[in-house]
Amino acid sequence: MNHSITGVGATTRAVDKIRIESLGVYLPEKILSMEALLASCRRRPRWDLERITGIHERRVAVGEYAADLGIKAARQALAMSRYRPADLDVIVCSSISKYNRKNEFHLEPATAVRIRAAIGAGNARVFDVVNACAGMMTGISVLQAMIRCGMARCGMVVSGELNMPLAETAAREMRHSFDGQLAALTLGDGGAALVLDPSPDGQSGFQHIDLVTGAKHDHYCYSRPSRRGPGGILVTKARGLQRKGNEHFPAYFKRAMDRSGWTLNDLQHIIPHQVSVRAIENGVRAVSRYLGSVLPDITRCSADHYGNTSTTSHFLAMHDAIVEGRIDSGHNIMLVSGASGIVIAHATYSFDDLPQRYRARFAGGR
Amino acid sequence: MRTCRIESLGVSLSHRHFGRWGSVRHAVEAGRQCLKASHHRKADIGLLINAGVHRDLHICEPAMAVFIQHRLGINIEFQNRGTLAFDLQNGGCGMLDAVQVTAAMLQNGEIEAGMVVASEANSDRQPDPRFAYPASGAALLLDLSPWNDRGFGSFAFHTRDEYADLYTSLVSLAGKHGKIVFQRQAELENKYLTMAGTVVEDVLNRDGLRREEIDFVVPAQLSAGFLTQLPAAIGFPGDKVINLSDRLPDTLSTSLFLALHLTMDSQRPAAGRKALLLAFGSGVTVAAATYRF
Repeated sequence: MNHSITGVGATTRAVDKIRIESLGVYLPEKILSMEALLASCRRRPRWDLERITGIHERRVAVGEYAADLGIKAARQALAMSRYRPADLDVIVCSSISKYNRKNEFHLEPATAVRIRAAIGAGNARVFDVVNACAGMMTGISVLQAMIRCGMARCGMVVSGELNMPLAETAAREMRHSFDGQLAALTLGDGGAALVLDPSPDGQSGFQHIDLVTGAKHDHYCYSRPSRRGPGGILVTKARGLQRKGNEHFPAYFKRAMDRSGWTLNDLQHIIPHQVSVRAIENGVRAVSRYLGSVLPDITRCSADHYGNTSTTSHFLAMHDAIVEGRIDSGHNIMLVSGASGIVIAHATYSFDDLPQRYRARFAGGR
Repeated sequence: MRTCRIESLGVSLSHRHFGRWGSVRHAVEAGRQCLKASHHRKADIGLLINAGVHRDLHICEPAMAVFIQHRLGINIEFQNRGTLAFDLQNGGCGMLDAVQVTAAMLQNGEIEAGMVVASEANSDRQPDPRFAYPASGAALLLDLSPWNDRGFGSFAFHTRDEYADLYTSLVSLAGKHGKIVFQRQAELENKYLTMAGTVVEDVLNRDGLRREEIDFVVPAQLSAGFLTQLPAAIGFPGDKVINLSDRLPDTLSTSLFLALHLTMDSQRPAAGRKALLLAFGSGVTVAAATYRF
């Protein structure tokens, strides 16, 4: 029976915290270097983009589309989860780039419907959430609200990002070195999925999630179909976006720490949105200035080898940090996101045994 | 647990306006009507969800909700009181999904009031002739009901993903500017009708209600033919199912709440009356919710 039934009263247990029960990521095998991407530009920008951004390469999906990347990540997450697909009450898909066929951007049905069908989650209620690069964080916040008030017992937040069509348009259309599409050359492809459920011990899990939209600054970054030819474009006023973000986000960073009852001593890792290595360094400096003390070396960065994978970037960085043994059980992390809108998002999270389970599964072959 | 109610409802209909309004403008107009009728201040709104499907100029980033928040002037700068704005997409059922998410955040005490908006408009210069939705907007301002038993009751969403290809909408990027390509198979309404009975049964069971206790049913106004067959499919007498198809064409995501707005205008339901809301969307999904005035 392939239908879902979800509503208020699915469970009545009061839930305080939710945790990441399982994590899955999918990285396409093909690697494209910054040099190769720049070489493909019709008019090569005169900047040394690799030096400026710190991005050396990214993964590129070949013959796969956004929903496929999400589906593969969802399967990875379910392979490590104690839940079966049929146990999922909700699936929230937060992809921005819904390129589910060549030159087709899909609006209906929701991409979450395709993912539900592919993984066999026949009891899940599904919808998409779109909030630029803060999409997965928004999806987590939505699912947290639904689990907390008893509308769902467990659910999945999943995203597959096929960003390279935007980079290809930029390579084709950029006219000069100050072109607004320059930032599209920092993008990469990837998928990530989380299974979320109530924290079993009431201690581990998300301590505080804070998302806020400063809509006055909605003009810094947008994506839409090209006016000059086929494909979509991403236009970014990168400096302005970073300057405005760095002006405001440190206050929210401190607020998230305060509301979690944490100090810098309690924090083992910061995982920012992986815009570029340089942008992350600038963000760290902005927080240091705000706090009046230099941040310890706890910022995790994967932008140098994955590029900016938009909504999925935090969880690809988390994957790397866990596999490399940097993140361990009991560690506290802060997820920081800045997205076009401008959306500023912070989440504080305390790990349970996920890192051990993840490493064991990863070492055992994916 | 306290219930979530519709504190105010605003709409924007295309026939009122000279010229061609886009989806953001319709959403903003509906939002303004909503705020005008509300007792809440803009600053109270902690959440703004846009559930519209089709977007001006096919912009996919940032969320359309951000533009709507900006034009409505709801906590637009980073300050003490903040608003989270995002889009939730689930076709014709999106507004009910967004209402349930807002209800969850209200019940958890995360926000004081939330706004759900939706709007539809096709911004293509040469629109796909199969795309027949007139431009429109609808907005709800939601808060916790001061009464225990008034407001939204249960929700039910049934999805049959094996029918997903019966209804598709996409933006083709093969040429300049993008273009909506729309496909809706003829048997879609039959699938809705076969699913509707189970969904209604489910939502009534959750609330422990019998059909006789429901005073009226407000469905999304898909078509005159569909609305004629709907009462038999859901086991309600025809006079209880609101049929506004002579005044209100199908407007996709906004249809259910445009119909509710017109029903509330004409019937002015007294306190305690119970309504059943029904939405139909791609997926294929049928959604239902009970509401007590």
